[in-house]
Formats: sequence, C-alpha cells, structure tokens
Amino acid sequence: MPSATADWGFASALDDVAGAVAIVGIGDADYTRASGRTTTEIAAQATERALADAGLTAADVDGIMYVPFSGDQLTAGDFRAHFGTTHAMWESDRGGGMVWAGSAPYDAALAIRDGRATCVLNTFSVAWATQRAQMVGGPGQVHAEELFKRNLEIPFGWFPQPVYFATIARRHMHEFGTTPEQLGAIAVACRRHAQHTPSAVMRDRPLTLADYLASPLIADPFRKEDCCLISDGGAAYLMTSLERARDLRQPIIAVLGVGVGNSRTGAYWSQQEAFTSTPQVFAAPGAFAMAGVAPGDVDVLACYDPFTIVSLMQIEDMGFCPKGEGGPFVAGERLSFDTGSLPYNTHGGLLSHAYVLGIAHVVEIVRQLRGEAAAQVRGARIGVYGGYTGPQASTLILARQ
Amino acid sequence: MHPDFPLPDVDWPPTRELWAGAARGALRIPRCDRCGRGVWYPEPPCRWCGGATMTWHDVSGRGHLFSWSVVRHAWIPQVADRLPFVTGLVALVEDPAVHIVSYIVDCAPESLRCDQPVHAVFRPLRYPGVERTVMAPLFTPTR
Repeated sequence: MPSATADWGFASALDDVAGAVAIVGIGDADYTRASGRTTTEIAAQATERALADAGLTAADVDGIMYVPFSGDQLTAGDFRAHFGTTHAMWESDRGGGMVWAGSAPYDAALAIRDGRATCVLNTFSVAWATQRAQMVGGPGQVHAEELFKRNLEIPFGWFPQPVYFATIARRHMHEFGTTPEQLGAIAVACRRHAQHTPSAVMRDRPLTLADYLASPLIADPFRKEDCCLISDGGAAYLMTSLERARDLRQPIIAVLGVGVGNSRTGAYWSQQEAFTSTPQVFAAPGAFAMAGVAPGDVDVLACYDPFTIVSLMQIEDMGFCPKGEGGPFVAGERLSFDTGSLPYNTHGGLLSHAYVLGIAHVVEIVRQLRGEAAAQVRGARIGVYGGYTGPQASTLILARQ
Repeated sequence: MHPDFPLPDVDWPPTRELWAGAARGALRIPRCDRCGRGVWYPEPPCRWCGGATMTWHDVSGRGHLFSWSVVRHAWIPQVADRLPFVTGLVALVEDPAVHIVSYIVDCAPESLRCDQPVHAVFRPLRYPGVERTVMAPLFTPTR
C-alpha cells in the first residue's frame, strides 16, 4: 500500500523570533448563531475589546493583519473609518485565523524588529451563520468553486469538508486501530469545556460519551459531534515588543516559538500523500526548537479543530504522543482542563465554542497564561496553538514571563 | 455556479480526457512524460519530478479501496435521493498514489474494508433537476 515519502512536505525557514514580541491585548466579539452582522463589524467589536484590554487607543495601533478570505476582513481603511483616525499603518494579508492565527506573531515580530510597526493588531471574523441563513457563502463555497474539486470530487458526492475528514478518519482507524470512543473523547472534552465558558455557543448542551455514541452517523464514521459549529464571531489580539509590553497593564505573554509546515500536495485532501498526517509534522519541531521547550513542558494546548480527527492528528504530529497512538492518548480524561495531563481546547474549540477558525484559540491560550480563563488550568505557564488549513500548519508557543 | 451542478463540465480541458474515456468504457489518467508517474490531479508540473508535459493513457480500472465515507446527510440537495451513499478514494493498481474519487456501488457499506480490491464500472451520473447525464467511472468490489 502507498506510504508517505519523507518529503511530502517541508518546514518554512523562519528567523529566530523567540522573545521578540508579546501579546498584550485580547478581545472576543460576541459568539452567536446567525446575528445579521457583517464580518467587518464583528472584527471591529473584537478590536475595541482588545484595545480596552491592553489599555491602548486606536492611534497606538500602527500595524494591522488579516487574511483576504471569507468575507470582508478589517483592513487598515476599515480600521481608520471605524475609529475615526487618519494615521499610517503597516498592513499585512498574512494574518487572520487558521494557520495564520499562529504565524501572524512571526510576521508581526519581523515588522516590529524592522521598524515598520510598533503595535500590530491581528483580527479574524466570520459571519457564516448569517450567510448560511441567507443561503450565500459558508465554508463549502470555496471548495465548490475550486475547479478540480468541481469536476473530479463533487460529481461523486465527495463534498463538503465533513466527508473529506470522515474519509481521513476511516483510514486512521484502519492504520492505527483508532475507535469511535476515542474520537468521542475529544468531542466530550470540548463540550465539557464549553459548558464552563460563558461565551461558548454550546454552553448549555451537555454531551456524554454515551450521548455521542448514540447519536446518528452523518458521514460515517462521523457523527454531528465530530464536526465544528457554524457560527458568527471573531476575535483580535495585539502584539508589541517585550520592552514596550512591560509598560502596559497586562501580564507579559511572550512568543517563544513559531513554526510553519507545508504539504507538497496542497489543498487536495484526496491526493494528500500522508493521508493521516498534517503538516504539523514539519511545523512543530521548529517551533519547539526556537522556544527551547518540549511537548512535555506544555501546560495547555489549543488546536484548530474543524473535526475530531484533526485534533487527533495534530496531537500526534506535534509530538505529544507517538504517531498512531493518539486514540489511546486522548481517551478518558487526558484532555480535561482540571483532571487531564494535556488540557486541550479549554474554551470548547471549534466543536463547541464557536467556529471562528482558530483566532479564539489563541485568545484562550493568552487567557490561560494570564490565569483568567473560565476553565482555568492551574498554574499554566506554557501554552501552544496549533493552526491548520490543510496544506499548511503552524505552531505558536506562548509563555507567561 | 455551473447550471448542471453537481455534474462535471466534460469540456473543461484539464479533465476532458477522463470523460471522453469513460464514454467508451475506459479509465484514463495522465502520466508524466519524463518520470512516467501518474499526475493526479491532471495539472502540470508533475508533482514528483517537475516534468512539464503529460500524456493520457488507458489504465486497467483496477484498484484498492483506500478509504471511504458512508454519507447519510445531504449537504447539497441534489444528493438527497441517493442517501445513504458510499463515496471514497480508490488507489489505482498501476500507480497507488493516484487516488480516484468516486462512488462505491453495488455493495453493502458494512462489508467494505480498507485496501480491498475494487474495479471500475461505467454508469451515467444523474442528478435531479439536471437533464444532462455524464458517463463516469464508479467502482465496485472485485469478487
């Protein structure tokens, strides 16, 4: 049977930015079902709250990052219009959510080091619940418009994302003996964390493993609970140099390491050579080396988790357990914020908190390291975000100074 | 969106040969002219050696069921009347890194196993509300 070649992907070459930048302000927009808001309005709300959290004003922000994807994101022009300023801003389209929620601090650190900016905002927002209610947009659309998928996958029912990842989960089960109970343990942990988190969309919806196993299969081997929510929402975080961060009001949460991994097979999951792996294989080692820490030092982990299997693969690929042993590793209460050895997606993740594509995961890690999370991990000092888009992955390692 | 969604556009140049082959009962894939490996999806450069050109060849239609999902929810309304269906990836015997996405038909879903032998059968794809049909390679377990 085909096995992945060692060169199915590669790590991006990154400069050492350990200790170059800190996250000094965080803000969540309201996480909701269909709200009628635009993505720009949502991002602006998150930004207002991040500024208040940092004790800064709009005029202090001279850099802005977003991704030109999924609706209108908050550009420098939108920022100035919203806050009534006219100042110059460094602007980058290498920010936003997903993989970029983890790699934006790297680009911000370079911009700050090179004097292009002193205080950089990264935001991301979605209005997919609103758009779905209006029958436009949504997470499947970008795939439906991709011409090879349109011509070689969708005609055969292989669409949208839950079907892709159910197929990956099936192969993972075949290769490694992963079970539905093990996938369910991830869904149950995330739901329990959401129940502790007032902002979570699924805070009032308890889920036991028995509930999970009794729920209908929608794309076998997946149940609904293996799949992320559709919601409106967004978040923002502010970055500046450590030196400047010392003068601000919040505890210093420093960026210790960043890594970016890439798959050579690109955006077609059907043709992914390492079908049951993610490019975290290439992202995580560089980030841990830059940070000078190991997976065993991590107190709290948050990974971009559109599906349970994506959590499982990233936990393996980042080195928290050997490849293929993710199933037994996540079983039971290992991922719980209070009783587990690897507290995971402590706000509920994309499965149970809100589907804002990873930016809220970074905000949650900062909150954990400050000691102000809803489902607080006692004494958390090192936190990691795993970002994922399919063809790329990022690892961001943060630490309380 | 294409008016015949979710049918393919059989005239789209990169995949036109696949549908032309299927119309006469043959599974065709392109191979790199330089290294001879399958180039799937059919888009140069070759992902294995960087070769710039490729040529389509008939293949046996035999393969192994790499993985699949039994879909029980209609994310697009056009598939509602075929639920549940099995869709998945077939690794070709000639070049197992080529994964053909297709329906797996004429089987009990619970009987399927990863890596079991399958072979192509050619059937018209039909979707409600779409007058046109397209002859397409589907796969079925080899007994």
